Amino acid sequence: MSEPGRISIELTVNGEAHRGEVEPRTTLADFLREELRLTGTHVGCEDGFCGACTVHLDGASARSCLLYAVQAAGREVRTVESLAGPDGELHPLQEAFRRNHGLQCGFCTPGMLMSALELVESRAGGDPPDEGEIRAAIAGNICRCTGYQGIVEAISEALDDRAGTAE
Amino acid sequence: MQPLRSSEGSASTLVEAPGAAPLVGAPVARLDAARLLRGQGRYIADIERAGMLHACFVRSPHAHARLGAVDGAAALALEGVVAVFAAADLPHQPLLDSVRIEGLRKTPQPALASERVRFHGEPVAVVLASSRARAEDGAELVRVEYEPLAPVLDPEAAAAGAGPDLFEGGNLLYRGEIVAGDVEAAFAAADHVVSARYHGNRYAAVPMEARGCVAEHDPGSGELTLWCSTQGPHQLRRRLSQTIGLPESHVRVIAPDVGGAFGQKIPAHAEEVAIALAARAVGRPVRWIEDRLENLLAAPHAKEQLIETELALAADGTFLGLRARILGDAGAYSHNSTSALIEPYLSAGLMPGVYRIRDYRCEILAAVTNKSPVAPYRGVGWTAGHTARELLIEKAARQLGVDPAQLRRRNMVDSFPYESCTGMLYDSGSYVASLDRALAEIGYEELRREGGPPAAGQPAVGVGVSPYVEPTGWGSDGALQSRWSFASHDSVRIEIDPSGAVTAAVGTPSQGQGHETMLAQIVADGLGVELDRVRVVSGDTSGTPISTAGTRASRTAVVVGGALALAAEELRAKLERIAAYLLDAEPDQVRIEAGRFAVAGDSAREATLREVAEVAFYDPALRARLPDPSLSVSRFHDPPASYANGCVVALVAVDVETGAVTLRRLLSVEDCGTVVNPALVDGQVRGALAQGVGGALLEQVRYGADGTMLSGDLRRYKLPKATDLPAIELHHECSPSPFTVNGMKGVGESGAIAAPGAVAAAVADAVAHLGVEIESLPIDTDRIVAAAAAERS
Repeated sequence: MSEPGRISIELTVNGEAHRGEVEPRTTLADFLREELRLTGTHVGCEDGFCGACTVHLDGASARSCLLYAVQAAGREVRTVESLAGPDGELHPLQEAFRRNHGLQCGFCTPGMLMSALELVESRAGGDPPDEGEIRAAIAGNICRCTGYQGIVEAISEALDDRAGTAE
Repeated sequence: MQPLRSSEGSASTLVEAPGAAPLVGAPVARLDAARLLRGQGRYIADIERAGMLHACFVRSPHAHARLGAVDGAAALALEGVVAVFAAADLPHQPLLDSVRIEGLRKTPQPALASERVRFHGEPVAVVLASSRARAEDGAELVRVEYEPLAPVLDPEAAAAGAGPDLFEGGNLLYRGEIVAGDVEAAFAAADHVVSARYHGNRYAAVPMEARGCVAEHDPGSGELTLWCSTQGPHQLRRRLSQTIGLPESHVRVIAPDVGGAFGQKIPAHAEEVAIALAARAVGRPVRWIEDRLENLLAAPHAKEQLIETELALAADGTFLGLRARILGDAGAYSHNSTSALIEPYLSAGLMPGVYRIRDYRCEILAAVTNKSPVAPYRGVGWTAGHTARELLIEKAARQLGVDPAQLRRRNMVDSFPYESCTGMLYDSGSYVASLDRALAEIGYEELRREGGPPAAGQPAVGVGVSPYVEPTGWGSDGALQSRWSFASHDSVRIEIDPSGAVTAAVGTPSQGQGHETMLAQIVADGLGVELDRVRVVSGDTSGTPISTAGTRASRTAVVVGGALALAAEELRAKLERIAAYLLDAEPDQVRIEAGRFAVAGDSAREATLREVAEVAFYDPALRARLPDPSLSVSRFHDPPASYANGCVVALVAVDVETGAVTLRRLLSVEDCGTVVNPALVDGQVRGALAQGVGGALLEQVRYGADGTMLSGDLRRYKLPKATDLPAIELHHECSPSPFTVNGMKGVGESGAIAAPGAVAAAVADAVAHLGVEIESLPIDTDRIVAAAAAERS
């Protein structure tokens, strides 16, 4: 039984099963950050606009600030913490961001990575997207630092690497 | 040192930490990138303290009102709410601006408003609760009595004395003048006089991490610790000490990872003072995380100026004299970041720009209005003045029927050092070369040939050229040359521990610039050690030497980097003496390279840095030779002024039926002297350009007639998205400063200064056939559409 005013939820986060007791109004972003201590997901506007809080919900990108934690019950959530290997080894997409100076302050970076990951994973095997498509794919993620160019170059490189691996 | 960067191309490939010098000049990958990419950054909202409470501010819904009783009883009755504090509960000294400029009136700003609220969003009370959500619930229940007053929103009206006074003595805080040469004679001798008006928009830094802090007071030691998203920990420590009444020794400020700042996090914010006071009063740690509405509403705004300009020209286009009047809209307080003069005063000092202008007069005014106060934002002061001047030159070129780029070129400073008529000593530069390079790269002549009114149904295309000079690397001298009395020096410390690891402690934290990497490159080169041996620490006042100004004014490379280079040189000499003792050689025979010491001409005698450090700390016999073998060197540095330069060019297409402006190309030639890390420089240049484009096309803080702020979310305050920007083209020139260590100059603000002027000039060029002048930013698309419609009918 959950406490009065709280709802019990079960969900999978980064491949691990979690249980929690949340207020109905608790956002998924706050649940991830405060209950699970997965602080890589950042909250930049609480309004669905900036994209810093982007996670994957059942494989598709979603704004964790616009979802209540209860809406994620029974579903699979993936956050930026899932990308690197257990010893901290960077995911190829993270590595591309590092090599291309695709970050500055790092605050938008986790959300940017999750949006980019969706593009990279969805385009596996197909024609690589051009620069315009890459920009469109991250148009929901605001970066105030970089002017986006390093980010676009990083995603482009990650797509090329992936295409190279697939061949 | 020779410039290590050719003028060709830009850094596209980062290199991994190379083992050998020179590292200065290499595009080394960010040393802290992996941590941030894994989501392991530690920002304010990630900091937890035992027993921590969460804060929410009650903010004024009125722009201007008398403040009556604040009643927190209903909030306190709510489960989870622990305390409600209003001004009377937290006695403190008000925040004051810090500059010493004669004739500037002070406007004390309380941490929580008392008696009067002066802008929509001003904090009135703070609610502490067990969670942020509970604190917000509580804030909704706090009852505040207001007696609304008429808001003062128009700075001209404020300056003229209309409307109720925000402070005793009236709303005009300052009126002054810069006079150089004989401007009346210059205008009397002119063949042409061109005048223009420009309203520089009020916009804001909008860092993706909004403001925030965690305060904790230890009643036993009396020490207050504030983790704060700040650019200047030492400066904030000083302000907290002054307002709260604790000695600086008992205030510790820690800046963890900061998610962007761009100037907005230079000041001590009223909220930070209130949180520190609240934590002490409640006896528990308190965390405040600003939400986006609060950030747009109540965090400092920036840049708004009303500028009138007048240029006197000879028949051949030579600039003879310049007159200007600059009125800064300071918002509700002369802010402690600097003051109400931060915009108009700096603007006036740089108004001559890259041009040979000897006869100049500028009237400077600053007025308070019922808006959020103005504080620094990247390119502070200079953006509006630069844009006004470049639009004036654009207009002059059209009136005279000459090419605007050539008109600029004819009047450019072309020999160095050059002392401007406002007292700035331009140390070195490539003003003409940067312009020529930019014109060549954009294909200017071809664009000009294609110019002219568009064919029906086609967009109007325009090109805008915006050459700039940027005061950088502010030490006290640089500040003074900008007519700003301001202590702007740094001390640094380099230490080597017994294991041979090198730690450089500096007072200027990074907010994403990559300073740790750039400074480590300087230290590694200076000491002759590998990059991965060096750790740069910053951001904690208890462990780092003082930086009086903090991270601002493009000063970290020049001031802190310069200090580290000098400290490293001293420490290296000491290491070589100790190594000489260990290797039984003369000091001048010993050289360190990549962390290994060798004796000239004897490859058998070698020592590692670890071995030398071990001896320095633990070999008593060394003391006889070297009484102080400690491996720690501190160094103070306050370098002379330096000035970066370059040229931004924008190519735009304007759909005159919809007003939509598409930025087709954006190009910048940047010259910041010797470059330490080209990849980081390019990142700074691109980021500033993007912010400049935002200011030119999208960004504006808007207020309603009643003083209510209307742009409180990111739909109504638009930031540039990836799809709003083209791939930015960068090119480099290199004019090392003769006055700074290594010839370095600062970088990072040029695009914010010069891009709005380039975009504005390009749009002005595109729509000139419609008779539309650009007199404000962001671009008024309605005006273009109306002019096009009028032309068609």
